[in-house]
Amino acid sequence: MIVDLLERGGDLREEADVCVIGSGAGGAVVAAVLAEAGLSVVVLEQGQHHTRADFDQREETMLPRLFEEAGMRQTEDGSVTILQGRGIGGSTVHNLCYCFRAPPPVLRLWRERHGLPELTDEALAPSFERVEHGLGVVPIREDEVNALNRLVRRGAEKLGYSGFVAKHNRRGCVQSGYCLLGCSYDAKLSMLITYVPRADAAGARIYASVRARRIEADARGAHRVHAEVVDPTGTALGLVRVRSRVVVLAAGAIATPILLKESGLAGESGQVGRNLHLHPAVMAAGIFEEPFAPYRGIPQSYYIDEFIDLDRDPESGVILMPIAGFPGLTAANLPGFGREHFRFLRAFDRTAGLLALLHDRSAGEVEPGPSPARPRIRYRLDADDARALAEGLVHCAEVLMAAGAREVLIPYFDAPLVVRSTAELAEIRRRGVRQGAIPIASTHPQSTCRMGGDPATAVVDAFGECFHVPRLFVADMSVFPTSLGAPPQITTAALADRTAHHILARREELFAGS
Amino acid sequence: MSAGKSATKQGLGAPAGMASGPPPLRRRDFLRLLSSGPALSSLARLRAVPAPAPTDAATGTFFSEREREILAAVVERMVDTGEPSAPAVRETGTLATIDRLVGSLDAEVSSPLRPLLLLLEWAPPLFDLRFSRFTALGPAEQDAHLEGWRRSRLGFRRRAFYALRNLAFLGYWTQEETWPLIGYAGPLLRAGPPPGAGAPP
Repeated sequence: MIVDLLERGGDLREEADVCVIGSGAGGAVVAAVLAEAGLSVVVLEQGQHHTRADFDQREETMLPRLFEEAGMRQTEDGSVTILQGRGIGGSTVHNLCYCFRAPPPVLRLWRERHGLPELTDEALAPSFERVEHGLGVVPIREDEVNALNRLVRRGAEKLGYSGFVAKHNRRGCVQSGYCLLGCSYDAKLSMLITYVPRADAAGARIYASVRARRIEADARGAHRVHAEVVDPTGTALGLVRVRSRVVVLAAGAIATPILLKESGLAGESGQVGRNLHLHPAVMAAGIFEEPFAPYRGIPQSYYIDEFIDLDRDPESGVILMPIAGFPGLTAANLPGFGREHFRFLRAFDRTAGLLALLHDRSAGEVEPGPSPARPRIRYRLDADDARALAEGLVHCAEVLMAAGAREVLIPYFDAPLVVRSTAELAEIRRRGVRQGAIPIASTHPQSTCRMGGDPATAVVDAFGECFHVPRLFVADMSVFPTSLGAPPQITTAALADRTAHHILARREELFAGS
Repeated sequence: MSAGKSATKQGLGAPAGMASGPPPLRRRDFLRLLSSGPALSSLARLRAVPAPAPTDAATGTFFSEREREILAAVVERMVDTGEPSAPAVRETGTLATIDRLVGSLDAEVSSPLRPLLLLLEWAPPLFDLRFSRFTALGPAEQDAHLEGWRRSRLGFRRRAFYALRNLAFLGYWTQEETWPLIGYAGPLLRAGPPPGAGAPP
């Protein structure tokens, strides 16, 4: 049963074995696994329930439907835009489907430095296998690599850089290119059409347009969730109360710590809301002579890993990945206005975007803001990370020029830089990456309720349960002890699967008498 | 009472000879604008149009007629392409798109926009000592004035510039009649969903 309470109206009281807050890569998996095991499950999702019929491939309608703050969530200083999903299926509805397991060197780091000896490759393998099967993860075929990605690969191969065509979770893809705006063909195997229907079929009660406001706990643990029915602008229209034996918090790395803080829970370590990593990314735009419709086809398939060596350093590195947008998004990311701006935008169908995405050590924090929908997010790149991002931009420009770009734009806000030869790359290093001087974006906020072995330095244990609040679990990207250094969808889902199976293993204890 | 004192008490009034312009920027609006940094900062990355929520009782729109005039002048400069074939802003649905967007946003985000437009209209005398409203300037002067906002040392002016710039881009470049200028073929859905589209595993 999936009910949008905005349409139904009124207040709601529910009882269940498990209340899951959030329906994205973590929450949907937990809900499906537990419901299929026979537990009664209620899911609360702040956003609405949109399906393929709603996905009209237009920016002006889809961005507000699928993104928190209509795609304009930012750090407090405005320097980093954070694109985060909302609605049933969460960020998996708009993501671009790169599928990677957690890199083994990063798992080793988590085991050795964060007191998590349980997180071995072998121990996690069953969870990875289950979610990869559940999401239909397969290699992207050669014939599915679009013109944009072929260009980028050409440049990387010419330079001898390491790269490969990744895996994805699509089936029957028609290669329209509108993945970012929701798949109109249900070819993207997001949570919306995989785990959410499984949870639904197993009897989970899934409520959309419900924002959790407070989790209630006593000495025995979490047992009640207070929430409200909200419209898309955040106006509260009704009250929801769910009594449950277990609460699973999977609202994402921004909302999850805020809910814990506003509930006054799990704060003993002082780490709730801290250690925010963003995988911040900057873009170079290569302008080519001939049109190639970069916005058509699978947006991201090729992946350049030349500049990340996790065996050598599991805490840093830069990944390069192609990116294309639509007119409004692209215009907003190009510098200047009027004719200066149009000089770049007129090359829309001849422009290849290449992102440098940072595996960041820099850490920010999240706090409740002036309203529930507007959290306070702070993040500063440290000097090493800023240098690494700048170097990543240099490599983006190199690759694009090797691919045949006539010129490469580095979109500094005040003085855009156009590079036409390798001799000019030094100017990128000279200007560097300064927050506020160049667009920086994030789609992977993480680590704000980090997992660890020590209750003094971590918020949750190796299975996602809060150290100081029994029966309260976290199952989203908040739990990553460090930046992941790879696209996070599969790792988020696998850790959530592991948490769900752990809950089932403790079924007698947690649900006695249920 | 001098005109200046009147302005201090009631708002920043129109210079002589401009009585028929938009309503003056009230002091409280200006203060509100100055304190709205984070909201404007968010608007600077604006990329979306939620469902409409009319706020003007007379017109059913967020912006009043006069505010729309200022907005139109700003958008025209922001999206000036120099191309003879480019559709004029007022001949497209640009302003309606922006209006729907702003009218439906969280009030914390949208409320600074009205005073911002009024401030911009009266900013030439305030910031440039040029005794003309923004809408009365010529295109080159308007561009120079906007450039002043873009490169201002005041953070709120820079954020306001990007808020208006990105509103303009989102409003204009999502209009189908602008797409031939940039070679965008538009959504594929017009042909209907293809047969054999994916199914869950």
